[in-house]
Amino acid sequence: MTEAFAIPLPPATWAQRFRQPLLLGLTLVAVGLVLGLLAQYNSSGFEDAIQVESTLGRLAIWMAEQSENEPEDIRSPLAQYADNWATEIGAEALDPAILFNSIGNLGSAYFALIALILLAALAACALRPLAARNMYFAALLLLDLLLFLIPTLEGSNELARLLLAILAVLAALALSPGKIGRVIGFFLALSVLMVGWEASKSFADSVNYKLLLPQASWTYERSPSLEQALLALEAGEVDAVVADRKDLDDLMPPHPPQEKAKENLQFVNLRYMKTLDRAQGWAFLPIAPAFPGRLSLAVRAQDAEPLSAVRAIIDSDIAAVEGDFADVKFLGLPRNLVLLDLKILNDLNLPHLQMIAEAFLQPARRNGEFLLLRILSDAGVYTFSEALFGFIFGAVLGFVLGSLFAHSRLLERGLLPYVVASQTVPILAIAPMVVIWLGASQLSVAVIAAYLTFFPVTINTLRGLGSPAPAQIELMRSYAASRWTIMWKLRFPAALPYIFTALKVSATASVVGAIIGELPSGIGEGLGRAILDFSSDYSMISTPKLWASIVMAAAVGILFFVAVNLAERFILRGRVRPLD
Amino acid sequence: MSAEQGVVIAAQGINKIFNPGSDEEVIALQDINLSVESGEFISLIGPSGCGKSTLMRLVGDLLQPTSGDLLVNGKSAREARLDRDYGMVFQAATLYDWRSVTKNVQLPLEVMGYAKEERRKRAQAMLEMVELGAFAGHYPWQLSGGMQQRVSIARALVFDPSILLMDEPFGALDEFTRERMNLELLRIWEQTGKTIIFVTHSISEAVFLSGRIVVMSPRPGRITKIVSNDLPYPRDFKTRSDPAYHALVAEVRELLRDAVGSGPPGAMHAP
Repeated sequence: MTEAFAIPLPPATWAQRFRQPLLLGLTLVAVGLVLGLLAQYNSSGFEDAIQVESTLGRLAIWMAEQSENEPEDIRSPLAQYADNWATEIGAEALDPAILFNSIGNLGSAYFALIALILLAALAACALRPLAARNMYFAALLLLDLLLFLIPTLEGSNELARLLLAILAVLAALALSPGKIGRVIGFFLALSVLMVGWEASKSFADSVNYKLLLPQASWTYERSPSLEQALLALEAGEVDAVVADRKDLDDLMPPHPPQEKAKENLQFVNLRYMKTLDRAQGWAFLPIAPAFPGRLSLAVRAQDAEPLSAVRAIIDSDIAAVEGDFADVKFLGLPRNLVLLDLKILNDLNLPHLQMIAEAFLQPARRNGEFLLLRILSDAGVYTFSEALFGFIFGAVLGFVLGSLFAHSRLLERGLLPYVVASQTVPILAIAPMVVIWLGASQLSVAVIAAYLTFFPVTINTLRGLGSPAPAQIELMRSYAASRWTIMWKLRFPAALPYIFTALKVSATASVVGAIIGELPSGIGEGLGRAILDFSSDYSMISTPKLWASIVMAAAVGILFFVAVNLAERFILRGRVRPLD
Repeated sequence: MSAEQGVVIAAQGINKIFNPGSDEEVIALQDINLSVESGEFISLIGPSGCGKSTLMRLVGDLLQPTSGDLLVNGKSAREARLDRDYGMVFQAATLYDWRSVTKNVQLPLEVMGYAKEERRKRAQAMLEMVELGAFAGHYPWQLSGGMQQRVSIARALVFDPSILLMDEPFGALDEFTRERMNLELLRIWEQTGKTIIFVTHSISEAVFLSGRIVVMSPRPGRITKIVSNDLPYPRDFKTRSDPAYHALVAEVRELLRDAVGSGPPGAMHAP
């Protein structure tokens, strides 16, 4: 320091004192993890699962397969690219090994780039602290992208290393000095979400998708045959016998008694439970395994009432036939209280991010000529056009209604309740009727989308047109302005922020309306049909495709929202924006 | 009543009753007689509820009297409004936040159908008069309260109305800004020669600015006395230390105290 006066600095806070070493440590950890991934990746050949089962690996295999087709059958640009490549090197079809070679080089460069950026961030921490944040951000984005590429393989730890690296970079990003802007904030939250997604899946996998609390097991006697067990029951040696309902039905009367009693039953003094209260466990937490439906209880006739629930026999002496279903598949198993059922996190319900990304880059059907990405994009554009049409229709209708209501108290009082009531009718009920009235066409889908969009615009137009202060209206009257002039010079510009708020709601609602409208119209080109198709394939383990269509639907809605937002920023430029 | 030479506003026997015939009937003004000469600066002062704003609104045809005769420039108030004889300034600057300063000043001209070039020239001249020529491209929210109020004065004068109606224009400003704005307003008044009707709560402001002070009392609203203020124009900060000024302030305060008399405490605002 060369300054003549040294200004005493306030004592450093905890964050200030530890920021530098923490950043150093976190960055080094991240670099180490990335280099580890690089080494692992470099050592793998293109036969290894880490390459073949990765998103790009699968894509390469598909491209190679497509290039085997006759040139006139190839329609996807990526397949065309592979075919051109094959022709260039004089081959009939492209060898996947060539593609894997390129991917391999690309991959190594990618990992090395991340490591370099992190090291640069480390240098920036010391030299230009404010520049470090952007470098961490770049590294975070590159690492996030890997979540969509690296396959999750049994018994391998790439994903865990990647998640740890992302966490380290996230922490470094949050710690590094500077302001968190809109974009960084968004991706910060997104990264946390994605890490949470994968981490919770790994956790659920490690506990076999259930959080259990062990309970005392069943204590019971194993009898060699059902007859012996029932004789012991009659003799009072045991209090209940667990056996197949069908077998018991042949031997004794049911409880509660049946009108048409069977005759010649062997054990008239015993009863089996026809209706059994099978609940066991604590409050709403169930016990696993549950009492199987094919089993029932046999008890002495006089005990039928007190022992008609599974709960009641837990502490009684019970018996079952050795080697029988009741013994092997139920009583012999450990009993556990299920604290948390995590099956929502399994690969069927919540696929890995990589599986969703892979679904985008695989054909929608086996050996299909187009990737799902292309098919969903086309569907997205189709649905967007319907939504846009409905949005415009709804916005105009909403504006006209709002303006009418603002100018006529009678119309507002008379018609507004119907406008409100229209929104309480579920769109699912309205949609089929609109399709019947207008025919199964894009027009009816647009009308259905408009049905969802006009309401917020009506309400906010009404509110916005009434928003100018009385003094502003009086001012206009002092200029002898006409009603029309007051509308266009004062009320409409004052209403614009209100209208844009409604338009932002409507933009996303119109996409929902279009997707719902496509279902009863039987329109096959849109996202609605894609979602329907893939959700009916749920049992066939195609949930990544369903998730892919959800992602596409969300993307269409978000794009629409962003477009309206940009239009708002342009049209309302210069106005006060208290939130910025 | 004939349009006497120099008389701009002639009010005779004005009554204003809100919600007549209902339970909430309020006699806002009773038997108001007032005559305002051309180029006069006249203040209306009185406690809350004395009808001073109502009287100003009647003159500006924002409200209509229940009975009585009101002539403005020899016409009815409505005709005067349609002839654009009034410029109005309210307590809030009521600028349109989506219009730049110059666009705000041009607003009355736009409504009245002036050509674009004419609008721009006049607005710029007015902004220079209120010493905001450099702020033409700014937006209202970028200006201080005092500057906003000056823009609204420029907007009221831009179409050259003969009468300026001001309803507590400086009521929301701090003391320093208010005194500066008072001097500014006097300068503009002397420069333009407009007739100004000025509603205020502040005794010192009323005395400092006007040639006549109309002191009003509430329930029902009526004129207690019209005080003439012969302090010579141009007035400046020295006027405020003139003993005659203080005597007038004391007289108006005394009149107002009598006016409030039976009213609830706090009905009178401190000057």
